Amino acid sequence: MAKIRFPVLIALGLFIGALALSSALKDRHYLLLSLVLLCAALLPLFLRLERRKLEPRELVLLAVLAALAAVSRIPFAALPSVKPVSAIVILSAYVFGAEAGFLIGAVAALVSNLYFGQGPWTPWQMFAWGMVGLTAGWLRNTRWMRTRPGLLLFGFIWGFLFGWIMNIWHLIGLPDAFSWGLIATVYAASFYFDLAHALSNVVFLSILAGGWIKVLERFRKKYGLLR
Amino acid sequence: MSGFRSMHPSVAVVYYAGLLLFTLLLFHPVFLLTEIAALLGLMLLQGQGRRIAGSLAFCLIVAVPAALLNPLFSHRGAVILFYFMDQPITLEAVLYGLMMMVVLISVFVIFLSYNYTVTPDKFMYLFASTAPKSALITLMTLRFVPLFQRRLRRIALIQGARGVSVREGSLRSRMSDGMTLLKTLLTWSLEEALQTADSMKARGYGIRRRTSYAVYRLDRRDIRVLAGLGAGALGTLWGWFQGYGMLMLYPRLKPPVFTWQEAAMYAAFCLFAALPLWVEGKEKWLWRSSARKSLPSAIQGKKGLHWTGYRSQ
Repeated sequence: MAKIRFPVLIALGLFIGALALSSALKDRHYLLLSLVLLCAALLPLFLRLERRKLEPRELVLLAVLAALAAVSRIPFAALPSVKPVSAIVILSAYVFGAEAGFLIGAVAALVSNLYFGQGPWTPWQMFAWGMVGLTAGWLRNTRWMRTRPGLLLFGFIWGFLFGWIMNIWHLIGLPDAFSWGLIATVYAASFYFDLAHALSNVVFLSILAGGWIKVLERFRKKYGLLR
Repeated sequence: MSGFRSMHPSVAVVYYAGLLLFTLLLFHPVFLLTEIAALLGLMLLQGQGRRIAGSLAFCLIVAVPAALLNPLFSHRGAVILFYFMDQPITLEAVLYGLMMMVVLISVFVIFLSYNYTVTPDKFMYLFASTAPKSALITLMTLRFVPLFQRRLRRIALIQGARGVSVREGSLRSRMSDGMTLLKTLLTWSLEEALQTADSMKARGYGIRRRTSYAVYRLDRRDIRVLAGLGAGALGTLWGWFQGYGMLMLYPRLKPPVFTWQEAAMYAAFCLFAALPLWVEGKEKWLWRSSARKSLPSAIQGKKGLHWTGYRSQ
């Protein structure tokens, strides 16, 4: 069983990919194709995680930070778009790097949706928050991110980018209504939500940044985590 | 655990993965509504009515906009219902939007039922050998969420005695108090988690491939249900390749004609979607008839007692 597992999985993936492609071409039905492409986008980083040699301490650290991000979403459930998740993901990536940031964002989205409801939007949120972490990790050594206003600006921009990525998901479901008018309406309708997300990112980052970065740096140094 | 939940994890995963695939492939209200009905029936038989009611509102908030937006922006179709701000609203576009809403609701219901049936230990059993680290991280995160909620409540209680509280004071002091609580949670959880990690390492985590003790055995009932699911899935896919199971809305709504091929495909789909309902219902029925004194023979006379499952006895 163990020997044929990977060939079987690859064959299954190709089969579903072919189904998705023919569904998109034949019936102009893009839901399956979009999900297949998203999973393909998420796969490489999860594969890297499987390949990498990780200490148990590092695995547990990733889980703790992802869980903190997921928990932080629950008290704000009543306020749409006000979630400290992005702030926590950015701060974790700032200290532990791009790959860790991606994993924390993606896993936090997956797990917190167990409480909020899973749906076709889950992979999109995993992707969006994963990208928040990935970019924060990439840019962490630039002079821009090293300054506090730069970090806050980064959070502000991602508040909008996050909403724009999630809007694509809404648009894909309505291929026949697809027009500049629909795009404008969807993006205009989400503007206030995106603005709320962006501002809440700035607020949470400004509250959390000093203390959390110090604590996380300390843990990283003391235990030699994710170097 | 009894009924569908007591079956082998692979049965549940084949079922839910297949349903998800068909939801995204087939575009036909009859198929999707059958699927939703089968899943809701399964959940009601499992006593999950309250869960459904609890999460319905969120589901509708996400799904309803799709139904509203489509007719406003898509003007394809032949039957014009009325004009809204000088824009024709066509019957086809309204139906398309409604279909999209039904697709979203079915995906939502699939995951609702999945979460109840595929418990974390089953998830771990299935994925621990394929993707051990990702599965472990996901599971640990899952386990930490309720733990951290409890911890946060304890921290708030204790800090409340010192006057650190998010409930009183100016906005500024409440925010800094909230930050104190979160920082305490962070340091506490990290310290504790690193100890857990050390004890994992002391017990040899990561030295070799992960082995796992599994209580699951693929018995005859599981194989029979898997065969049924496979037959249903093949029949449905065959129909899809023939072009059935797709509601033609554009350029104009075609009156649905149910040919016998399409009926055969629908039967196959019903077999696939309703098999767990059948398993669950049969077990419920056997249990009730065995409890009735007047029908002691109802269960004893039956050959092949494995249908009730040794795990549920």
